[in-house]
Amino acid sequence: MDFDLTSEQQLLQDSVRRYVDKSYSFESRTALLKAGKNGSADNWGSFAANGWLMAGLPEAFGGLGGSVLETSIIAQQLGRALVLEPYLGCAVLAAQTLAACDNTAQKERLLPLLVEGSSRVALAYSEPGSRGMPETVALRAERSAEGFTLYGLKSLVMGADGADAFIVSARIAGTQGISLLLVDANSAGLERQALPLHDGTWVEELNFDGVEVGAEALLADAGKGLAVLQEGLAYGIVVLCSGLIGSMERTLEVTAEYLKVRKQFGVPIGSFQALQHRMADMAAEMEIARSMLHVALSSMVNDTPPVRDKTLSSAKMLICRAAKLVCGQGIQLHGGIGMTEEYLVGHYFKHAMVADLLLGSSDSHEAACAAALQAELRA
Amino acid sequence: MDFTPDSSLAEFRQEVRRFLQDVPADLKGLRRATRSPREEVMRWQKVLNDRGWGAPYWAKEHGGTGWTVPQILVFDDECSAAGTPTQDGFVHKLLGPVLNAFASPEQKAQHMPAIFNGERLWCQGFSEPGSGSDLASLQTRAVRDGDHYVVNGQKIWTSYAHHADWIFLLVRTNPDVKKQAGISFLLVDMKTPGITVRPIRSIDDAHHLNETFFDNVRVPVGNLIGMEGQGWSITKFLLNNEHATAADLPELKRYMRELKQFASTLHVGDRLLLERPEFALKLARLDAELQALEMLVQRVARLEQEHRPESHTLGSMLKIRATEFQQRITEAHVEALGDYGAIAYPHPHEPNPPANYPLQTLANGIANEMFFRRASTIYGGTSEVQRGIIAKMLFQL
Repeated sequence: MDFDLTSEQQLLQDSVRRYVDKSYSFESRTALLKAGKNGSADNWGSFAANGWLMAGLPEAFGGLGGSVLETSIIAQQLGRALVLEPYLGCAVLAAQTLAACDNTAQKERLLPLLVEGSSRVALAYSEPGSRGMPETVALRAERSAEGFTLYGLKSLVMGADGADAFIVSARIAGTQGISLLLVDANSAGLERQALPLHDGTWVEELNFDGVEVGAEALLADAGKGLAVLQEGLAYGIVVLCSGLIGSMERTLEVTAEYLKVRKQFGVPIGSFQALQHRMADMAAEMEIARSMLHVALSSMVNDTPPVRDKTLSSAKMLICRAAKLVCGQGIQLHGGIGMTEEYLVGHYFKHAMVADLLLGSSDSHEAACAAALQAELRA
Repeated sequence: MDFTPDSSLAEFRQEVRRFLQDVPADLKGLRRATRSPREEVMRWQKVLNDRGWGAPYWAKEHGGTGWTVPQILVFDDECSAAGTPTQDGFVHKLLGPVLNAFASPEQKAQHMPAIFNGERLWCQGFSEPGSGSDLASLQTRAVRDGDHYVVNGQKIWTSYAHHADWIFLLVRTNPDVKKQAGISFLLVDMKTPGITVRPIRSIDDAHHLNETFFDNVRVPVGNLIGMEGQGWSITKFLLNNEHATAADLPELKRYMRELKQFASTLHVGDRLLLERPEFALKLARLDAELQALEMLVQRVARLEQEHRPESHTLGSMLKIRATEFQQRITEAHVEALGDYGAIAYPHPHEPNPPANYPLQTLANGIANEMFFRRASTIYGGTSEVQRGIIAKMLFQL
């Protein structure tokens, strides 16, 4: 194992870092938040122009063929700035799910458009009863003369605003298992409701009331859909966790700076041992989380899907809990200023809270790990 | 970054396993509790030396194996899994590197053969009553008298002094200079007249700790390591070794294996403990954290191998988190035993264990280990001292 970046990876990290430092200050982020949903088209264009949307996609479909490591490096830096653009929802979840499916025609048509940023797709897999776990699907698809007709609800679709199409998990009547269908965002019978999240990003709830799609919309047939979805979600979990490492890093930096300048009782509060020890514990929590990210990355490279998914569940719960703790303590050490909307540290905590609930909560993933351990030890 | 597995490490693991297969049966499957009895430690050292692995942690030029830290972790892991005796950590991890770096050829000739052949066990005389983490405040005096030093004073928390043949000792040779500057590093034969060892019974109901008294103990000047007054810099060298191994990772992995064994052996009502949701969740949390700790150990090992300064702060974080984990997982063991967790089983190293208690084979030594682990956040630099190091070095606070 080698924990150091290769020179190419270092260049990639530096270029994303330069971008977020220059174009994604807290002030410009605040301006974007006020202006609307899911960041700016200009930024998305820059992501595409810099190659960040293609880094982890196969070369055959216009990508750079990079491994999950490159995507993770990008996500860590974007997480330092809490970018609002739907990198996770569109560039990772939807794009990687699409890349994992067997429908070559759709991949050849869509992936190059996603890579160049001229089109966006979002992943609609979550339902109110699924709590992020992809197996629970109630959305129904009935076969029609031309293809399929869809009925049901999808909650919390990340990056839906501005998306041209959705990848939708469904149960096709008369089949076992989960299928994936591509649905145009402007389809008749599709009701969309935009909902804001605590961290300033927007999602949509989608209601399918007899939405019709053609036969070519079938991305993954019953029996294959879940495995394809799990590929996309695996990528998504790694990227979400990577972003949180960046968020924790930035919180620690900002907080350490504050402890040096803020004076109370005539001295910088950083001279108080209680606060020094708190900082040390936060740093240790982050490094444990970073180590767990390495475990997840290693599993993405080396393990079979069942082993990988258990490892990712471990990573999701451990890293999300670490982020809530570190970012929450960031507020505590800042005192009242940390509570204000005008100051950045509270926004890292808001994002950590949201991240914990996206893609399955810590509690859900912990239960999944427990079940996997039970199965392993029963055997 | 590259996370593809190192295939040479897998081959090395097989090599260690082949060696362990041929180890005499009475040196395997032993209950490991902090340190094995003296005779087992000595026999094990001979077995290792016969294989050419007499100094598994040292560089080749010092007669060691020259293994990398990941190899060392594999070796320790396999030995722990096989239940071999422990080694004399004082000589292999602390004194040995000091001798390799600072000892004269005569001193090496005197001590090295005995270390390799397992004929001499060591203990460490650093702590004194009241010194705590302020090690440099030590008061034990050594006054030059011809070709001897005359040592007077008291050491405390001297682990295994009652098993040791020799002690490596910090003494004050000059009281008139800055406290760090007046310290020297001496090797002392425990049979020298004037040394008294008194046991301190610890809360794990065992005897590892001692008070050691020095009353006009005459130590040849030739037993001084380095120069007079150099003791503090030698000590800093010694304490800076082995951040990655301070986590005791092979033992953490053993604890996890044992906890999983409990889970699939013990019953609550008519169900396996494993099927209890609250236990399964606890197991999942511990399992995840152990994976993260294992990876942190690899990161620290890598930084240490390249002598990078970040290894110190990351090593301190590892020390804090791994030792707290040792405490939590051993507590989970005891709690998993249910009613039997409250039973004070005899210490596994007691010479004459009393009559068989229920569940003795499974539970024996578990609670002792749990109580002993309360020391791990104190020794080797307390968690509080480690936090101070991190705040200072990482954040300049």
